[in-house]
Amino acid sequence: MRVTVNGEIKECPEGTTIEHLLDLCKIDKNRVAVELNLHIVPRKELSTRMLNDADVVEVVTFVGGG
Amino acid sequence: MLAADKTGKTIENIPLKIGRHEFTSRLFVGTGKYPSMEIMKDALAASGAEVVTVAIRRVKINETASLLDYIDTRKFKILPNTAGCYSAEEAIRTARLAREAGMSDLIKLEVLGDEKTLLPDPVETLKATEVLVKEGFTVLVYTSDDPIIARKLEDAGATSVMPAGAPIGSGQGILNKNNIRIILESAKVPVIVDAGVGTASDVSIAMELGCEGVLLNTGIALAKDPVCMAKAMKLACEAGRLAFLSGRIPKRLYAKASSPEKDF
Repeated sequence: MRVTVNGEIKECPEGTTIEHLLDLCKIDKNRVAVELNLHIVPRKELSTRMLNDADVVEVVTFVGGG
Repeated sequence: MLAADKTGKTIENIPLKIGRHEFTSRLFVGTGKYPSMEIMKDALAASGAEVVTVAIRRVKINETASLLDYIDTRKFKILPNTAGCYSAEEAIRTARLAREAGMSDLIKLEVLGDEKTLLPDPVETLKATEVLVKEGFTVLVYTSDDPIIARKLEDAGATSVMPAGAPIGSGQGILNKNNIRIILESAKVPVIVDAGVGTASDVSIAMELGCEGVLLNTGIALAKDPVCMAKAMKLACEAGRLAFLSGRIPKRLYAKASSPEKDF
């Protein structure tokens, strides 16, 4: 199936959780917040929430700012 | 020596209270635009700041370096901002993401009107403040130096109002001291000057007026020597605070001799 992560299309197997996807993208889950189809996913659900085809995932983190 | 309060602490040691948080340093420093992460780290240390602001952006896939590798979160309280948001809706979304990313309930709310001026949009800022306060955020609100909107933000539950000294990144200093004075007169929450500070004396002026703190980024980050400027800002903040607490002399139009009249 295909999901969109931060605007990029990613191919991943059925049954992929958000945590798996973050691993696949080499993203440290401790420093990010995740939205699935514009809804925030609580941190504790990252390892259990399954992705579906055409899901849109946004992963944000802290960067320099004033 | 400055008078002690009921707890026996001297006034200059009374911490700054922001919601449930207390800070000794009254200088808040941003983390953007430094020449390198190493220089940022040294500048943050030199500034003596206990609160540092950060922005929220998309993770770059396969890029493992992180801002937080350079900020010791046991030493610094992270204050995420909603910079780059142009509507209440966007700012609320960003604030929720910031909270989920796990740092704290603190948010520096910034809803801008347009890209050219980066001035705050007061209507959208007020809307976002109302929502975020209801959701339990500790909201520090970036606003213009308009006393009426500052009061409305306070009424909406802002934990701190943060009037701009001058437009973001402009380094023009405190353009309208009178407005800051009027805001201070009625505010019951801490007033922190945010934005426009160019050099040390700008920080001192804000603190001498009676502001509870100053937040700045560009003035340090883009100085030729950011680490040295960070130290200058720290000292200016402390000097301005002490001068305010000490009670300055009134300004006089004419001279008044410091030495006794000559009597021989």
